[in-house]
Amino acid sequence: MTAVMWKPRTSRLSTIIDQPGGLSVGVAMAQARANLDNLKTESQAIVAERIGRLAALQAPPADQDPVLRLNEAYEIGSAIIDAAGPFDRDDLCKAAAGLCDLIDAALPGAAFDWRIVTVHAQALQLILGLPEDAEETRTEILANLHQMVARKIPAADQPAD
Amino acid sequence: MSAADEPLRESAVFNLTGAVTMVVDDSPFSMEVTIQALQGFGIRTKHTPRSTAQAMELLKLHTIDLLLIDCEMEGSDGHGLVRWLRRSGLEPNAFVPVIMTASHVRRSKVADVRDCGANFLVTKPFSPAVVLERIIWVARDNRPFLEAGDFSGPDRRFAPATPLNDGERRADMIRLTSHLADRAAAASAEALTS
Repeated sequence: MTAVMWKPRTSRLSTIIDQPGGLSVGVAMAQARANLDNLKTESQAIVAERIGRLAALQAPPADQDPVLRLNEAYEIGSAIIDAAGPFDRDDLCKAAAGLCDLIDAALPGAAFDWRIVTVHAQALQLILGLPEDAEETRTEILANLHQMVARKIPAADQPAD
Repeated sequence: MSAADEPLRESAVFNLTGAVTMVVDDSPFSMEVTIQALQGFGIRTKHTPRSTAQAMELLKLHTIDLLLIDCEMEGSDGHGLVRWLRRSGLEPNAFVPVIMTASHVRRSKVADVRDCGANFLVTKPFSPAVVLERIIWVARDNRPFLEAGDFSGPDRRFAPATPLNDGERRADMIRLTSHLADRAAAASAEALTS
């Protein structure tokens, strides 16, 4: 049997939030967006650098456990989401998240088809270089990547968009 | 707010300028993004440790009102920090509202993140709106803390809210109404004197 202890708590934050002054949600959102706009150029440079690192990542030698190299690819994928996420780049995030899902689903000790990493890196480079209005091409690339994820991890078969 | 998925009203007023906030993230850029978003909400980030070890030291020394932690940091996991904090016995920091952020959560870590005792997990990509929603939500979160087996943190069961028919009860709406009434009174007084 597990003993359950209840501790009713009120955080200081719950008192602070209702203090006089402050600002409206509309103003807060506008200010936050303006602050983040100042970081957009830096975000683009970081994303480009991380995609470049992913593309340069070589497949591990056949006699070596791929786990270290896969972890590296996973971390780069995750770092792409980190840098692109707050700047409305859902397309890059979806592509990177698909790669993370596939690496995460890889069985320990089993061989990993490195072309998955290569294809994702190329797709990310393509998406990054697309003009804003190239919606059709963007959708097509994401649909192709999604098919790959769905084939490899049937349980993760969610709509591409 | 009664539900975690309830959207914020543009006119809702809140004040978090006095909240002592800590952001734990090993990525300088992600840290900057979070700090800038918080600054937009009127929150000045006071502590910015780059590792869980640094965060632990600061949490032992300073009282924190809001904690945002990146889930996956190099060499240490954010959920390990939350688990440590909830069990630390540090008063009042052990009960501080915690929001975790994650780009991608590995399947093997889902249970760890769920059970670490954080108030909320925000998965990226996230917009400032999502972060603000969650901050306001955790500020209004009145779930009791539970200690059961390995788990220590806010009760993970959400009780359905029952609306009462006793007029406006939302503090921000009451303040907004009072603020608008004050402005109207000031404007009419000015019109009378001119």
